[in-house]
Amino acid sequence: MERRSKEATLASLYDEYYDKIARYVFVRLGDRAEAEDLAGEVFLKALESLDSYKERGIPMRAWLFKIAHNLVVDYLRRVAKRKVVPIDTAQVSAELDPQAMAETNVEFARVTKALDQLTLAQRRVIELRFFGALTSEEAGRVLNKSSGAVREMQSAAIRSLRKLLYEES
Amino acid sequence: MPKAFDEILDECVDRINHGERLEDCLARYPEHAEELEPLLRAILDTQMAYTFPPSSPAKMAARRRFNAALEGLERRREEKQPLFSRVSGWSRAWVAVAAVLLVALIGYFGLRPVLFPVGPGPLPGPEGNFAFLITDDVNAIGDFQSLNVSISKIGLQLGGEAGRWIELDPEVEVVDLTILQGDKAQEIWRGDVPEGQYTKVFIHVSNVSGVLKETGGPVSVKLPSEKLQIPKSFEVTSDSVTSFVYDLTVIAAGSPQSGIKYILKPEVGRSGAERRFEVIDGKGRGR
Repeated sequence: MERRSKEATLASLYDEYYDKIARYVFVRLGDRAEAEDLAGEVFLKALESLDSYKERGIPMRAWLFKIAHNLVVDYLRRVAKRKVVPIDTAQVSAELDPQAMAETNVEFARVTKALDQLTLAQRRVIELRFFGALTSEEAGRVLNKSSGAVREMQSAAIRSLRKLLYEES
Repeated sequence: MPKAFDEILDECVDRINHGERLEDCLARYPEHAEELEPLLRAILDTQMAYTFPPSSPAKMAARRRFNAALEGLERRREEKQPLFSRVSGWSRAWVAVAAVLLVALIGYFGLRPVLFPVGPGPLPGPEGNFAFLITDDVNAIGDFQSLNVSISKIGLQLGGEAGRWIELDPEVEVVDLTILQGDKAQEIWRGDVPEGQYTKVFIHVSNVSGVLKETGGPVSVKLPSEKLQIPKSFEVTSDSVTSFVYDLTVIAAGSPQSGIKYILKPEVGRSGAERRFEVIDGKGRGR
């Protein structure tokens, strides 16, 4: 694919995938502002690295999540070095009434706790499938796994989530 | 062959991601509905807990930065095109006028300053073989009335990973990025450095002081680190001047609701010794 054609493809993905990437980053960091910031960074980074992108290796939308993952890892490393904890668990909108806000926060905490108990590999699959809306095939390309392996991890993760959310809570 | 349960569940995740209701997924596989139902509910509850529509201002700001980066690429591509391909679309009369003007300019000013305002090339002089300049890629700099960055040290790594670092004390210690936007650059050091291949560059930023246009008041600008290091290869020789341009850019993160944060960071892609810039002094005047 020509450089200009890659740029056009990337630009066409912006509106749909900015939101998905922001949500994916939000699940990883728990911080709205950082998620929005990093989602924008993903596209700038992709533009910068377009020459190294090869269509046959991985679909572009999945490649964007790979970049998002790397930026999240870099971000967490920087934060760890600075010894600052940026996690903002008060993630609900200020427009909600106090009772709804409290309920949403409780639900957010309950789901976060359940997600935290999954294995790292299961969690990565859930993040890409539930929040990035990638197919199992695409998630497999990001994680260097076969689509079958992704499906297996996904099934195990969903069963664990069900148990953690409804049986143990 | 009937589908394995993992495949059915996988298909339902795809369908839910495309907006299909839980009941519709169950209706497709009535024989598995009992087992599927709590699993699909777990998916929906998990997605619901992390409902996160990014704010419109943040999304628009990010889109503007992306568009600006795209336009910048296009502009640089046009600049790199050979002259004859750029003028091929002009009328003959304009080409003739341009040619006459070019000949007159060359005759009056000499060839070199016209073709190499900055950048690598033979610029002999008593001032040394290396110049270090600062520029600013346009992102959120438009929000600032002034953005003064104090640079206390410049470092250049000669050779590969284990190569020695050459450290320089800037002659100009404070630059205002608001006057260094786009293709404008200010020289902060010039002199002799050892010949050879350099691989990394850092600047040590000791202070950042920004004033916003909107409020006229100071604003905090975050730095990822005081030492901003970038990997960038360039060569310095004894018979020419290498001009290295370091691009610093300020970006806005967050949203009006959660608060706008400004971050100063290096722009690796726009830094280097092969770029051409308009050199200006600390007051924004051309040199």
